[in-house]
Amino acid sequence: MTKIYKESKAIDDLSFEICKGELFVILGSSGSGKTTTLRLINRLIDPDEGAVYLNGNDTKTMDPVKLRRKIGYVIQQIGLFPHMTVKENIGLIPHLEKWKEEDISNKIDELLTLVALPPQLFRSRYPNQLSGGQQQRVGLARALVMDPPLLLMDEPFGALDPLLRMQLQNEFLSIKRKLDKTIVFVTHDIEESFILADRIGVMHGGKMLQIGTPSELLFEPANEIVSKIIGAENKFKAIKFLQAKDVMILIDKNCLIESDISCKEAIDKMISGKIDSCIIKKSNSDIAHISLIDLLNEKDKERSVMDLGNKLSVFAPSDTLSSIILLLKPSKESMAAIMDHDKVLGIVRLNSVLMNLI
Amino acid sequence: MVALAPLFDAILQHLTLVFTSLAIGICLATPLAIFSVFYKRVSYVVLTVINMVQSIPSFALVAIIVPLVGIGFVPGVVAIVLGSIVPIVKNMYVGLAKTDIALIDTGKGMGLTDLQIVRYVRLPLAYPAIFAGLKFSAIIANGIAVLTAIIGSGGLGRIIFEGLASFNINKTLSGAIPAILIALSLDMIFSIAEKKLKSKSVY
Repeated sequence: MTKIYKESKAIDDLSFEICKGELFVILGSSGSGKTTTLRLINRLIDPDEGAVYLNGNDTKTMDPVKLRRKIGYVIQQIGLFPHMTVKENIGLIPHLEKWKEEDISNKIDELLTLVALPPQLFRSRYPNQLSGGQQQRVGLARALVMDPPLLLMDEPFGALDPLLRMQLQNEFLSIKRKLDKTIVFVTHDIEESFILADRIGVMHGGKMLQIGTPSELLFEPANEIVSKIIGAENKFKAIKFLQAKDVMILIDKNCLIESDISCKEAIDKMISGKIDSCIIKKSNSDIAHISLIDLLNEKDKERSVMDLGNKLSVFAPSDTLSSIILLLKPSKESMAAIMDHDKVLGIVRLNSVLMNLI
Repeated sequence: MVALAPLFDAILQHLTLVFTSLAIGICLATPLAIFSVFYKRVSYVVLTVINMVQSIPSFALVAIIVPLVGIGFVPGVVAIVLGSIVPIVKNMYVGLAKTDIALIDTGKGMGLTDLQIVRYVRLPLAYPAIFAGLKFSAIIANGIAVLTAIIGSGGLGRIIFEGLASFNINKTLSGAIPAILIALSLDMIFSIAEKKLKSKSVY
């Protein structure tokens, strides 16, 4: 689609897809067209060419008011109505949709609890009696009241101080896990985009330059501009917010062996699978790494692999690279296993990660 | 002294004049102001005409009414409406139009229609401006209502003019003092109404 403002293209031949359930961050500097893109989605503006499709339906054929009630919208200025209490702010649209008073009240309490504001304390307050962070939480609750499958957020944490921003980002991530929503999030803050995003779309001059995961953008920028925007020449800063899932090497099923087999069986398996090292899952918290050479050097080939291998530290996919490095440093380990509950997802090799960062 | 019964009649007549005119003024001003918010051209025409009307001296306005509408109560109301509608429209327009853009934006974004935004966002936030206009307008209306007595609208103006014509200071004052008190109480009435409205839930 294209959007033209006074002969200059604010959005230039833009085309991309957002998957259901993902948190898609549109990253770009001011004037890159990211806010315009967001507003095209809920039809606050209409494209001059092209169309926005929602679940395969052209949004142009839908009634804009009905469409917007099914799309949550949060902006940086929050836009809480100053003359309405928290309750009235959140309950306005349900009221217009003629919900029962009781249902509205229950929904408001549920949402306030979700955003960590005790309902009995906050329900009747006016926006000017709330701190910036509390206001933004109410803003989020208001956007969620119609239970929209899609949520649009335009730099919602942009006006908050850095400390509070970090706290809200973390809270937002945990709220996001509880809700099954597709979220389109606009920001100019690279760090924020890396912390929150499943995928990031980098915009510049009304064009989408590259779409990818944080590590793809960092390690394989499509061109100079992306690399500049992401700050790829300064990758080292990224250890603060790159997460385990961004830098881990996915492990193949073949590389994962159960602990109840013998050395000999393991050697056979590795040779036939043409791999020279593997991960042994002994229990949900006890993961070890062993190389083919170590196995071959083992004298008692009938020994169970249960007793062999180097124990690996275990991290969650959302742990940051810096915390992994910090924990591994004392033990001089260079490898860690990444587990999601009881599933081994992959391993992080510090050497290769650090090589990539330089 | 002045007989009390005719004085009460005059006060009642005066209040009727003022409140009828204000009610008509509000009814006319509201759609004008709302249309002006949404249509630039309408706002241009409305504001230009209104500024012209405002510049006409009240006494001249009352005089012009006679050849156009005649004399009596209705021409009096017409003169008062014309003379006092300006602050209502102007303040209402400014109050409605100058709402924080971020609020309009979120309102639209969450799925309010333009009229719902007026009803739930623009209007309540414009109350201070609107009531300031109403108070000002009420005071002007009261002033013109005194003048329209000369074109036969009745009211306190008649007592004042009769007093002046017969050099009867007492009679003059018995018309003038209630007119002043009415002006003061109008301001108070609107202040109270504003407070009441503000403390009420928006919906």
